[in-house]
Amino acid sequence: MTRRLVFLAALVAAALALAACGGGGDDDRDSPAGTASKPAPIRLGTKNFTEQYILGELYAQALRAKGIEVELKSDIGSSEIVDQAMQIGSLDMYPEYIGVLLSEIAGRSDRPDTAQAAYEEARQFQRGRGYELLAMTPFSDSNAIAVTPATAERYGLRSIADLRKVPGGARIGAPPEFRTRFEGLVGLRSRYGLRDARVRALPIGKQYAALDRGTVDAAAVFTTDGMLDEDEYVILEDPRNLFSFQNVAPVVRKAALQRTKGLAEAVDAVSATLTTEAMRSMNAEVDLDGKDPANVARAFLQAKRLL
Amino acid sequence: MRTIYRRSITIRTLLVGGVLAALLGAAFAVLVVAIREQQEAGRAALRSQRAIGAGSALETSLVNLENGVRGYVASGRERLLEPFRVARRTYPAQADRLSRLVADDARQQAAVREITTGLDDYVSLWALPLVGLAEERRDVAQSVLASGTGRERLDELRAQLAELFARERAVAAERERRADRRSSTAVTLGLIGMGLVVLVAIGMWLSLRRSVLRPVERVAAATREVADGDLAVHVPADREDEIGTLARSFNEMTDALRRSREQLDARTLDLERSNHDLEQYAQMASHDLQAPLATIDLYLKLIDRRLSDASEEELRELLQGIGGSTDRMRSLVRDLLHLARVGRGDAKREPLDAREVLDQALDNLAGPIAERGADVRTMPLPAVTGDPGQLCLLFQNLVGNAIKFSDGDTPRVEISASVSGGEAQFAVRDNGIGIDPTHAERIFQPFQRLHGEDRYEGTGIGLAICQRIVAHHGGRIWAESEVGSGSTFRFTLPLADEPPPSPAPPRHQPTPAAAA
Repeated sequence: MTRRLVFLAALVAAALALAACGGGGDDDRDSPAGTASKPAPIRLGTKNFTEQYILGELYAQALRAKGIEVELKSDIGSSEIVDQAMQIGSLDMYPEYIGVLLSEIAGRSDRPDTAQAAYEEARQFQRGRGYELLAMTPFSDSNAIAVTPATAERYGLRSIADLRKVPGGARIGAPPEFRTRFEGLVGLRSRYGLRDARVRALPIGKQYAALDRGTVDAAAVFTTDGMLDEDEYVILEDPRNLFSFQNVAPVVRKAALQRTKGLAEAVDAVSATLTTEAMRSMNAEVDLDGKDPANVARAFLQAKRLL
Repeated sequence: MRTIYRRSITIRTLLVGGVLAALLGAAFAVLVVAIREQQEAGRAALRSQRAIGAGSALETSLVNLENGVRGYVASGRERLLEPFRVARRTYPAQADRLSRLVADDARQQAAVREITTGLDDYVSLWALPLVGLAEERRDVAQSVLASGTGRERLDELRAQLAELFARERAVAAERERRADRRSSTAVTLGLIGMGLVVLVAIGMWLSLRRSVLRPVERVAAATREVADGDLAVHVPADREDEIGTLARSFNEMTDALRRSREQLDARTLDLERSNHDLEQYAQMASHDLQAPLATIDLYLKLIDRRLSDASEEELRELLQGIGGSTDRMRSLVRDLLHLARVGRGDAKREPLDAREVLDQALDNLAGPIAERGADVRTMPLPAVTGDPGQLCLLFQNLVGNAIKFSDGDTPRVEISASVSGGEAQFAVRDNGIGIDPTHAERIFQPFQRLHGEDRYEGTGIGLAICQRIVAHHGGRIWAESEVGSGSTFRFTLPLADEPPPSPAPPRHQPTPAAAA
C-alpha cells in the first residue's frame, strides 16, 4: 500500500512540475484578456527582420519595466501586412520606417528634403487614420543597393544608374516585396530606367550570402545592417534620391495611447537613444555573433539605464 | 498465556483462518486494482485517440485556412476564400475540444494552448491582413505571399500538432504498457497469493492431521483396545492442546479402569483364597473336632459297658477323659474364633508402645513362664501402629510357643526389634527344639502340627493367627531355624506416625494364652 502511495505522490509531483513548466512557458506570450482593473495589454508587432526584432524587444522591455503589459508579436511580415494587421485591429503598435510609411503605405512618390519633413508628413498621414506617430529615432536605416568590390570594379559601378552596365540586366537579391515597392524595383525602373533589372526574392538577411556566392549582382540592403562592412561591400550612390529617410517612428493606435499612461514617454525615451552606431552594433551582435535579440536589447537598455 | 496461544488448536485454527482470509483479501484487492487500472488505461487510450482525431480536424482547418488565403490572393476569386471562412469559424471549437481531451496532461494542454495561440496569430496577424491587403493591392499581397511566411507558420503549427500527436500516442502507449505490466504483476501476485492460500491450506490440513486426526485415531484405536480388555494401553499425552487434554483424560480413564480391575482381581483372589481356606478350615476343623468327639464317644461306651462293675475310681477316670476331650474341643473352638475375628477386619489402627503390648502378653503368660521357669528378656522396642489386642495376642502366641517348644533346658526367650525402611522388624528368639527349614512355610497354615499332640499340646492354629495378624497390619512373618538350635520368628509392623500416648492407660485385655 505504502509503495502505491509513494507512486501516486511521485505522479502528482511530476504533474505539478509539468504544469509549472507549461505555465512558465506561457506567461510571455499568452496573456489573458485584461482584467477590469488593468488596461488591456499593448499588442506590439514587428516586421520580419533582425533590426525589427531588436526594436520590438527594446520597446517591449522598456514598457514592461514601466509596468505596462505588452504582448510582443515578432516577425509578422512586411510593412504592408503589419499595416493591415493594425487596420483590422490585431495590433496596437509597431515600429515603422518613415520612408517606407510614406512610399509604401501612404503611396507617395515625392521625396521630402529633410528627415523632419518626412516625419511630419508621415505623422499627418497616420493621424488621419487613427494612429499616432511617436518620436522618431536619431538613426536612419535607409534602403540601399550594395555590390561586391569585384563587381563594382568589373563593370565600373559607382551609382545605381551604373547597373545598366551589367550585361543582361542586373540580378538584384531582395525581399519579395521589393518587386512591388516604389523604394524597390518600381523606383529603380521609373527613376533610374533599369528596365532589365530582375529581382531575385530572398529572405531578408540572405542577400549578403547570395552576393558572396555571385548568384546575384547586387543586393537590396539596409544601411544599418550589421553585415554591411565597408571593406567587403560597396554601396552604390543614389543621386536621384530614390531611397529616402528611414528613421524609425513607432506607430500607435490612438485609443491604446489614451488608455495606457506613460506609453509615449517610455517609447520616446528608448527611441531617443537609438543612433545609427547603436543600431548597427546591436544588429551585428545578433546577425554576426548569433546573440538573442532579447538579450541584446536588455543589455542595451541596462547600459542606457532604461531598465 | 503464550503457550495457550501457541498450543491451542482452536486459536491456531483461528489464526490460520485469519491468515487465509488476509491472503485472499490481498489477492482480491490486487486484482481489483489491476482491473481498475486496466479500465483507466483503456479510457485514457480512447481519450488519446479522440484527442488525435480532434487534432487532425484542427490540422485540416489549418490547411483550409492557408489554402483559402493562398487561393484567394493568387486568383482574386472570392469563392476560393470560402474554405478560409469556414475554417475560421470552426477552428476555435475544435481547439477547445482538443484542449478538453488532453485536460489530464498539463504538458499536452500547454502544447494545445501554444498551438491555439499560434493559430490565432496566424489568422489575426497573417491571414486576415493578407486578405485585406489583397482586397486593396493584390500584386503587393502576392509578393508578400511569395515570402513564404504563411507556409512557414503553417508548417510550424503542423509540426507542433505532429509532436502533440506523437506525445499523445506515447502517453497512451505508456499507459497501456503500464497497465499491462501492472495487470501481469497483479496476475502474478494473485497466483502467488492463491498458491500461498493452497500451501497454507495444505499446511493446515497436514498440521490438523498430525495434531488432531492422528492423535484422535490413536485414541480411538486405544479405545478399541480398552474395549477388547487391554487396560494397560496408554496414548501419548505430551501435548498441551485440546488433544493433549483428551489423551490425558483417556489415560486417566484407563488408569482408573485398570485400578478397578486390579482391585477386583485382588478381591476375587482374596475371596478365592478365603473360600479355599474356609473349605480347608471346615475340613480340618471337622477332622480335629471329630477326634475329641470320638474319644468322648469311646469313653461313654466304656462307661455304659462297665457301669455295673466299674469302681467309682474307674468311672471318675473315664469322666475325666471326657472332660479332657471337652477342654480340647473348647480350646479348639476358641482358637477358631480368634482366627475368624482377625479376618473380620474391624481392627484398630493406633500408635502403640510395643513394649507395653509385650508386657501385657507376658502378664497373660505369667503361668506358663513360672511353670517352666522361662528366662524372658526384652530389648528396647519401638512404637508401632496397630491394634493393641491383636498385637498382644501375636506376642503372646510367639512367646508362648517359644516356651512350649523347649526340651529339658530352661527356656530362654529374647524379644528384640530393629527399624529400617519405615517399618519395625521384631525378632522372637528361643533356644527350643527348632524347626526343620523345609517346614518353615507350612507352620503358618492352620491345623499344621509338626509334632504329635501327645507331645506338644495345642490346636495348631496359633501361628496361623499370628500370620493373619501380621498380614492384616501390612507386614510379613517368617521363621529362621534349624533343628536343635532354636528358632527365631521375625515379623514386621508399620512404625507409629506419632508417638503413642504416654503414660499408656492400663489395659485389661482378656487375652487367654492361645498356645498354652
